[in-house]
Amino acid sequence: MYKRLFCSIAILSFSLSLMAQSGAAPKNADIDPAAVAALNKMGTYLRTMGTFQVKSVQTTDDVLDNGQTIQTNGVIDLLAARPNRLRAEIISDDRHQLLFYDGKSFTIYGQLVNYYATVPAPPTIGEVIDKLDEKYGIEMPLVDLFKWGSPQADFARYITGAIDVGPSSIDGTSCEQYAFRQQGLDWQIWIQLGDYPLPRKLILITTDDDARPRHSQLLTWNLAPSFNDEAFTFDPPDGAQKIAIAEIAPSASDKKETKTGSSK
Amino acid sequence: MNRPIQNLLSITLVLLLSCGPMFAQRGGGGTRTSVNGNVNRNTNVNSNHNVNANINHNANVNVNKNVNVNVNHGGYYGGCCYHNNTAAVVAATAIVTAAVVGSRVYALPPACTVVIMNGLTYQHCGSTWYQPQFVGTTTAYVVVTAPR
Repeated sequence: MYKRLFCSIAILSFSLSLMAQSGAAPKNADIDPAAVAALNKMGTYLRTMGTFQVKSVQTTDDVLDNGQTIQTNGVIDLLAARPNRLRAEIISDDRHQLLFYDGKSFTIYGQLVNYYATVPAPPTIGEVIDKLDEKYGIEMPLVDLFKWGSPQADFARYITGAIDVGPSSIDGTSCEQYAFRQQGLDWQIWIQLGDYPLPRKLILITTDDDARPRHSQLLTWNLAPSFNDEAFTFDPPDGAQKIAIAEIAPSASDKKETKTGSSK
Repeated sequence: MNRPIQNLLSITLVLLLSCGPMFAQRGGGGTRTSVNGNVNRNTNVNSNHNVNANINHNANVNVNKNVNVNVNHGGYYGGCCYHNNTAAVVAATAIVTAAVVGSRVYALPPACTVVIMNGLTYQHCGSTWYQPQFVGTTTAYVVVTAPR
């Protein structure tokens, strides 16, 4: 009798311990190392590209206060010449904007309002992306393309799920589809097969919003773009007015973040 | 002997951990547009999204849109790029008429005129003066005292 009780307790505590273990470390079982490896391979390849032009046909869901989801369309045309030049054109239903970075300054021009603003910029694309984010709250369009393969994109740190979904064709090109999970975000990526492991499609689903809004990008690449230096410098058109860019007033939590960020 | 207690502690810890995302959800929804973006900031983007999406809704009324043609195409938020840090700003967005100096709006009231004084661009709307600025990639207008 006692033996039995002891046995049940032992089983119970063993199963509790199993539960505790599986709760504490859910990661390994849900992560396919091959999917992570594919992501790393793509990132490494992206880092080798000196100049490229990429066009993204994209959609973004806006969530209204009542939870209703409204989709907006946009097209981004981005030209990058590493290490220090970048140009992006953003066209959507409500805006037509151009971003210029020439290694010395960054300009944002709103064509419909005919306003522009110029601020001094650090010497590399990576640094200007971080500065715009931290100081002005501007997320560079297609920022992931510059983060993947960099130390900042440390997947092992935050990915909680990784699946190789299988082969899938995008615009007639053979790709492999992968699905990843991280806190607040489920995302899928289609990576081109063959010698050029480029991201061709990206779907993001924000999971910490009940409406589960989506953002999608369909990417078309040009790995040998023709351009000249003028592409990266802004020449104000007639009547364009120079205005300021508002700096972010960091909240208490953001200050902490900045501190840990700068100590890296 | 201590094992069950340890397990209980682990379970408690696991329960606490699994409650974590629930707290995160309170931050409000919104749409992330990058995998590698700053998660916290993006939560803020989202609250901004919502308010501006409502403005967007209003802009769909043709009358308003036409009024705004010359002054502010960038007045509503299209789902790109800006993350906002203060709820106060969001509140200001909704109350266009309360022209408190220093407050920020994303859409101007109708019938504004562009005035350039001392090389600076202003929008003069009724008795209120606004100075345009980029807030993220969105054009916003800060209420300022009358320039001279």
